[in-house]
Amino acid sequence: MTTNLFGKIPDISRRSLLAGTVAAGGLALLPAMARAQAPQPRSGGTLRAVMPFNPAALDPLTGRNNPDFNALLLMFDALIGFDPQTLELQPMLATSWKFTDPTTLVLELRQGVEFHDGTPFNAEAVVFHLQRCSTYDRSNVKSDLAVVDKVEATGAYQVSLKLKYPDATLPAILTDRAGLIVSPASVKAAAGGNVDRTPVGTGPFKFVEWQDNTLIKVVKNANYWGDKPYLDGVDMRIVNEFNTAVRTVTAGESDIVLNMSAQQMAVAKRDPKLVAEATPSMIYYTAFLNYGEGPLKDVRVRQAMNWALDRPVLNQVLWGGLGGGHCSMFPSGFWANDPATENFYKLDLDRAKSLLKAAGFANGIEIATFTWADQAAVQRQEVLSAQLAEAGIRLKVTPAQPAQTMQYFLTEKKGQMLMTPTGGLPDPATAYDRQFSATAYRNAAKIELPGYRELMDASMNTFDNAKRKDVLHKMQRFVLENALHLPQFSSAGIIIRTPKVHGFNFSLLQRPRFHKVWMEA
Amino acid sequence: MIVATFVVFSLVYMMPGDPAMMIAGDYATAERIAEIRQIYGFDRPMLVQYFFWLGNAVQGDLGHSLFSNESVLRLILSRLPHTVLLVLYALVLGAALGIPLGILAATRQGTTLDKIITSVASLGVAVPNFWLGIILVTLFSLGYRWFPATGAVSVFEKPLESLYYATLPAVALSTGVVAVLARQVRSALLEVLGSQYIRTLRAKGLGSGAILWKHGLRNVAATMLTIAGLQVNRLFSSAVIIEAVFAIPGVGNLISYSALNKDFPVVQGVALVLVLVVILTNLLVDVLNATFDPRVAAST
Repeated sequence: MTTNLFGKIPDISRRSLLAGTVAAGGLALLPAMARAQAPQPRSGGTLRAVMPFNPAALDPLTGRNNPDFNALLLMFDALIGFDPQTLELQPMLATSWKFTDPTTLVLELRQGVEFHDGTPFNAEAVVFHLQRCSTYDRSNVKSDLAVVDKVEATGAYQVSLKLKYPDATLPAILTDRAGLIVSPASVKAAAGGNVDRTPVGTGPFKFVEWQDNTLIKVVKNANYWGDKPYLDGVDMRIVNEFNTAVRTVTAGESDIVLNMSAQQMAVAKRDPKLVAEATPSMIYYTAFLNYGEGPLKDVRVRQAMNWALDRPVLNQVLWGGLGGGHCSMFPSGFWANDPATENFYKLDLDRAKSLLKAAGFANGIEIATFTWADQAAVQRQEVLSAQLAEAGIRLKVTPAQPAQTMQYFLTEKKGQMLMTPTGGLPDPATAYDRQFSATAYRNAAKIELPGYRELMDASMNTFDNAKRKDVLHKMQRFVLENALHLPQFSSAGIIIRTPKVHGFNFSLLQRPRFHKVWMEA
Repeated sequence: MIVATFVVFSLVYMMPGDPAMMIAGDYATAERIAEIRQIYGFDRPMLVQYFFWLGNAVQGDLGHSLFSNESVLRLILSRLPHTVLLVLYALVLGAALGIPLGILAATRQGTTLDKIITSVASLGVAVPNFWLGIILVTLFSLGYRWFPATGAVSVFEKPLESLYYATLPAVALSTGVVAVLARQVRSALLEVLGSQYIRTLRAKGLGSGAILWKHGLRNVAATMLTIAGLQVNRLFSSAVIIEAVFAIPGVGNLISYSALNKDFPVVQGVALVLVLVVILTNLLVDVLNATFDPRVAAST
C-alpha cells in the first residue's frame, strides 16, 4: 500500500487545473464527428521530437537544467513518481514510502525490475546511487540530499534513509534528479564513473546515441516493468533556434516540438495542419529584488512596485493569455497555492504612489535592473517599464546574457533588480528555499526577514498534509506581504505537434514521459 | 596564432558571466558554485588558466566542454565538415555567378545590363543572409517542398544528399560572394581593359575575345583569387547565423552556443581552428597567385 504524504487533496481537481489550460487549434478545431471516431492507441513508429536545448549530460546527477528531463525521463525512472497535473506523489520504483519517525524515511522497492544492462534493480543499487549523489565530485544534487545522514539497505528491496533533521520535502526530491536511478554496474564500468554519455536506467526507452547538440536517439525497452511503450523509439532532435524548431514540424520533418514560447504558438495557430497546446506550468516570471540595501530595503517601495503591475495585461500581452495573470509563484489550482492570496496585488496606482510618497519618493524613483537580451525579454522589460512608470517607478535597464545578469546582480551585487523566469521545482518549500533563504544563491540580499525562518522550518518539519498546506499558504502570504519579489505571471508549457501524435503530457514541471505517447499510422 | 588564442581567451574570460554557475545549473546553491569554481580551476588567475590550456593544446589536447563534458577536438571534428561543405558550396555558387556577371558588366559598361548588374550587386551585399535564408525556406521548403527546411547529412556518408541538404543555406550564404565578386571583377577588368598595353593590343588588331580571355581575365585572376580568399573568411563568420536558421550542426552553431554558455574550452578550440583556416586560405591564395601570375612568383 502506498503511503502518500499529500494524499488526495480535495480542492485540487483536474477540472480546475485544466481551467487554465488553453488548447489552440487541435481538438477545438476538429469536427465533432472526428472526435467521436477518435483513433485508438497503437504500437509502432518512431517519434521525431524536437527540443531547443542540448542537455548538459544524460547522467541525472551531473545535468543541471529543467529541459534535460525531456531526454532523461525517456531512459530513467525515479524512485517516486508524480501525477503530471497535480504533482501528487505516486509510486514508481518505490512502491511505497513512509516516515517511520521524523528523521527516518523507509522506501519499499519494486521487485522484478532490471536496468537496461540486464543488472537487477534492488536495495543495493539504490544505496549505491544515493551515496553517489552525495559523494561524486561532479554531482549537482549534493545539496538536494544534504539532509541525508546515512542510507542503508534494510532488506533486499527496502532502503532506509536516516536524516540529520526532519524534512518533509525529501519524497518530492526523490522524484527529481537525485531519485532517477542509474545502473551501478554502468557507473563502475565507466572511466572515472562518468556516465554523462552512457546513460543506463530502468526507463521505458534505451539509449542508442547522442550527437552533441544535434540528436538523442532511444529505442523501446521491451523488458520495461510498467506498461510497455507504444513507440518503437524516439529521435529527439536538438534545434536551438525556436522559429527554426517550429519550421521542422511545419515542413513535416518532425512530429512534435517542445518548450516553445507564446510567440511560436501564435505562428503555429495560423497553420491548420498543426496542433498547438499550452498547459499550466510551475515556471513563472518574476524579478528578484535586493531587499538588503538601497531603496528596495523599504518594504513600501517593494509593495508600490507590486501594486503598480497589471498582471492580467502582462499575461495577455507577453504570453498571449496562456499563463496565469496573478502574483502567486504557483499556477492556480496547485495544492500549495492559496487562491485567497494569489491576487494579493492588483493594479492600484494610487496606492502605489502613496506608498512611494510615504517612503520619501514623492517624485518617483529609479530602479537599476538587469534583464536578458533576447527579443522576448526585451519586450517583457518594455511592457513592465511602461506599467511601473505610471506609478513613477522608472527602470534603468541593462540587458545581458542570462549568466551575465546573474553575475552582475547576484555575485557582484550591482543594481536592485533582476527580471527572470524561475520555478519548476517539485516541492513548494524547496521553491521558497532556493529563492528567499539566506543561503540561496538567488537571494541577492543574503538575509532572511523576521518570520521567514519559522515558516520555512515549519514547511520542512510538517508531515501532515493539511497542516503542511496551511503552512505553505502562510508562507505565500508572508512573501507577498513583504513583497520579497516582483511576480508578474505564471507561464505555460507549450508544445506544437501534428494531429497524429497522441497521449503527450507535459506535466506541471514541463517534464514529459513518452511511454504513453502513440502515433497514428 | 598564439596571439590570436590569447586574445580569444582573454575576451571570453572578460565576458561577464560565471561558468561555474552555468555548470551548477538553474537551482544551484552558492556552496556548490564555489565548489565547482575550485574543481575546474576558475578561481585561479587568468594567465594560469590560459597557460594550462595552451600547454595541453600544444600536445593536441583541446580539453573538454565545460557544458557537455565532450572532447573539444571530437566536437569540432564532427562539426567542421558541415561548415566546410557549406562554405565551399557557397563559394562555388558565388563564383559561378559573380565572375560571369562581373565580366558581363565590364564588357558592357554603361549599358542597361551593366546598371542592372551593379544595382543587383549592391542589393546582394545589403541583404542579410539570415533573412534571405528564411525567405528561401518559406518558399522552397514550406511552400514547394523542393528542399529540406532544416538539418544536414554527412558529406562522407551520403555526398549527394549532403549537397541537397546544403543547397538552400549555401544559396542564402552565397549572395554576398556573388555581389562582391561581380563588383570587384567588373572594376578590375575595366581597369585592365583601359590600360595601355591592351590599347596596344587592340591597335595591333587583336580581337576583343582574345583580348578579354587571353589577357584581360588573366590579369584580373589575382584580384579574383584575393577576393575569393577574403570571402572564405567572411563565409565562415556568416555561417554562424545561417547554421542557426537551418539547424545545421556545424562549427558556427557550436561556437555561438558555447559562447552563450561561457564554455571557453570550446570557444578557444573553434577559434584556433578558424585561425588555422584563415592562415591556410591566405597561403593557398598566395600559391595560386604565384601560379597564375609569373610576376608574383618572380618577386617571391
